[in-house]
Amino acid sequence: MCKKGIVPTRCAMAEVFYLDGEAIPFRAGQNVLEAVLAHRQESSIPYFCFHPAMGSLGACRQCGVMVYPHDGKHPPRLTMACLLPASRDLQLGRAEAKVQHEHQLISELLMRNHPHDCPICDEGGQCHLQNMTVASGHAYREYEPEKRRYQSQELGPLIRQEMNRCITCYRCVRFYQDLAGGEDFGVFGSRDRVFFGRLEDGPLESPLAGNLAEVCPTGVFTDKVYHQDYLRPWDLEESAGICPHCSIGCNTRPGAARGRLRRVRQRSHGEINPHFLCDRGRYGFRYVAAEDRPRQAQAGGRRQDVDSVLDRLAARLAEGRSAFLGSPREDLDSNLALFALARVLDAPFAAFFEPWEEAKAREILALPHPPAPARISAYAEILVIGAVDRVAPTLPLFLRAAHDRGAAISLLRCLPSPLTALAGEDRLLPPADLLDAAWDWLGQRHHRPFLLLIDSESVGPELLHLLRREIGTWPDGSGILPVYRQGNLPGASFYAVDGHASRLRTALAGHDYDHLLALGQDPQEMDGPWWRSHGDIDLSLIDHRRSLSWDDAWLTLPCAALSERPGLYYNGEGRLQAAAVAYTPAREERHWRSELGPFPLAAGGALREELLPSPVELCRALAERLGLSERWQERLRFHRDFLLRSEPRPGDPGVFLPAELRARFRLHSAPPPRATDQGWSVCRFSHYSEEELANGARELHSLAPASAAWIAPGQQEARQVRLRAADGTSRTLPLRELPDMAAKVLAIPRAELVFLGLRPGDGVDPEWLD
Amino acid sequence: MSSPTSTAESVPTTLLSRLQQVVEHAGSHPEAAVCDLLRILQAEHGWIDDERLQLVARLCGISPVRVEELCTFYPLVLREDPGRHVLRICDSIACHLAGAPGLLRMAVAQSGVPLGQSNGHYSVLPHVCLGLCERAPAAFVDGKNTVAPLSAEALRQLLQGWERES
Repeated sequence: MCKKGIVPTRCAMAEVFYLDGEAIPFRAGQNVLEAVLAHRQESSIPYFCFHPAMGSLGACRQCGVMVYPHDGKHPPRLTMACLLPASRDLQLGRAEAKVQHEHQLISELLMRNHPHDCPICDEGGQCHLQNMTVASGHAYREYEPEKRRYQSQELGPLIRQEMNRCITCYRCVRFYQDLAGGEDFGVFGSRDRVFFGRLEDGPLESPLAGNLAEVCPTGVFTDKVYHQDYLRPWDLEESAGICPHCSIGCNTRPGAARGRLRRVRQRSHGEINPHFLCDRGRYGFRYVAAEDRPRQAQAGGRRQDVDSVLDRLAARLAEGRSAFLGSPREDLDSNLALFALARVLDAPFAAFFEPWEEAKAREILALPHPPAPARISAYAEILVIGAVDRVAPTLPLFLRAAHDRGAAISLLRCLPSPLTALAGEDRLLPPADLLDAAWDWLGQRHHRPFLLLIDSESVGPELLHLLRREIGTWPDGSGILPVYRQGNLPGASFYAVDGHASRLRTALAGHDYDHLLALGQDPQEMDGPWWRSHGDIDLSLIDHRRSLSWDDAWLTLPCAALSERPGLYYNGEGRLQAAAVAYTPAREERHWRSELGPFPLAAGGALREELLPSPVELCRALAERLGLSERWQERLRFHRDFLLRSEPRPGDPGVFLPAELRARFRLHSAPPPRATDQGWSVCRFSHYSEEELANGARELHSLAPASAAWIAPGQQEARQVRLRAADGTSRTLPLRELPDMAAKVLAIPRAELVFLGLRPGDGVDPEWLD
Repeated sequence: MSSPTSTAESVPTTLLSRLQQVVEHAGSHPEAAVCDLLRILQAEHGWIDDERLQLVARLCGISPVRVEELCTFYPLVLREDPGRHVLRICDSIACHLAGAPGLLRMAVAQSGVPLGQSNGHYSVLPHVCLGLCERAPAAFVDGKNTVAPLSAEALRQLLQGWERES
């Protein structure tokens, strides 16, 4: 039997067996079905319950093949290919009439209760059951009794259930419980009344629930978000994308048609996301369709055309009193284009507005090559620091696989975590104590290579620095993998982590600079008190989301969203990956009267492109207006060539940031540790759906809890808490109890932390209110 | 129902401590006590309501979904109020041949509600093999007594007796 696993096993390719006379190569440990699938991509053997990540079950009885024993004693026998270990010179038959008849009978059995609703089923065109039924040759059946009927459940805004289509393959529950560790979904009943669902209606709680739509071989679980903007899968244009919503850099397959991005599915990358995608990656793309997405350039709050705003901006830049701010969530070329513009103007540039964040980025860049996410499951000892499951929701898949292989997992955390079920050692701590606890763990004897998995949003740069300095003393193969929500942090900050943020602030706080041009980063969303206390700085924003300062900014230039332009992204392991353009935004309209609203292309409408300029194009236009076009291009080429020794194309596995380029970041001294006291401190509360761009995805964001301050039960009877910022402003938040979180810690959302100028681990003096 | 529900008022303290003893007996695998807990609670209450389901989940350290999976798999665990009495008539092959379908039809007619539903006082349920094939058709009364073979007359009298009680 195939052993289930998240990471494909790598064994030496060796011998072959024969299927209908064709030689099929296999690796030791593979079963026949696995080997055939690996050889041909699409199997000539129909199957249902087998899944490469979940292994074989032999439940559906669909993948039968005839085995011809070599001994001359036993007659040929029908055996399930998914349960038959591949072995040398095995002789198998699939094409003969008896086997085909068996496949037809099983298809008929599975289709007995399946409704004939393919024309209205979202799965139609990509349905495994449809494909297998056609492949097996089954077409007509006789069945007199009524079909089995179920009352389907309402499973929230992301997944739609139509239980009548179920063929009881158990893939969904095997994925949800065994791989994703979900506890709110199960299988109920017995015999032919088996039901897959929740105890009652309600949104699925797992951040990996969206995978049900891909795991289900038919239309029981379908993508509800795709349904809103549905076109048949064969009408979609799919491309090779990279998920921009966290540092893992999962490979995606965006599907678009007629000017709209309609869905995102996973695209397998053996080292990053072999099989699955989290819901932030799957549904976060909907920020491109956010109702408040800016599409109109503005000057002083008034709508203007792009050219006149660019003219005003260029004139302001020519004064030489402007500073520049890049963004770790924007792609590499956009950041380099802005950086090059700053360099030719000899102006300050930073990738982070917060020096604390910049120091962390420097430590992340200084790390020796971190392991690939899918390699986590190969470690025997793993220390998890912080809420990695909230920052990068696919990681628990790999941790669970490591646990199943016998890894010892230790957990240091402030907030409740689904990883507690896997952890042998589990400590609840305030953020300020995480470093000491990590040090204690390292003090234990570790003979085998180990991995530190760090939620870098919960910790400060000093923790990363001190741990990094110790790597040389650890067993060979040990490493640190930091996770964070920015999709291109190493790429954006490569040229700008040497005190750039502090210099930018100093420049803006003095009298020499009075204007900041920011790309994809709103300083008010990074440090509220600082920005409020420097209200005389004019802000120009280039972005594709409506940030906090958008409506009050001096100039605003909306730009194309990430999926509307090509992009290069460095993920958390320093792997550069390329994303293709997923779609060109356009609007379907009546070609004779465009103001009358949408009119489908298929019904004779016209398609009007609505593509906004990319940040690179905007920078180029500014350089032209400044008469610096050649110097800008030269500077851009220089920085690009230095960083990109080889450039991957969309669909490539990626290239790594060379080790020698990382080495220079190791020269820095330790960031100063923060003073800690025994009072109340803050940590960041976040929902798995939360990320700057994904917050604009309406359906996904509807699952996030309302803003509040969360504390451990029994700590306070007050109903509200008031926290004060250094500049005297305050915020009052409703108080909510959260079981299984650290004592004397207030967990508050990032927006509130930023408003108050607080960082995770900072001490606070809360005022409790009734 | 997926959120914890207080059971403090509905489960007596003595019963709760008995349940805890059963869990302690299971040692490092508290989830192994789940069937025993369900059996005890059903004997006490007649059926497993949502509060008792949550209680079992909490005591065994497993999710309520896991407990519900078990409850819905085993026909002897009742998740709806069956009334004061439960009659299970075996409908497996030996009893089927010996006249179980007729007995079930008769019970439906006399109780006035479909199989598996309560008429407020009692429920009649079809049941998988009771293991009394040599005395088919067999029945199981109130989870305690077996009646085999069950004649039409015995069935009529049994149900009439229950109706008189009500």
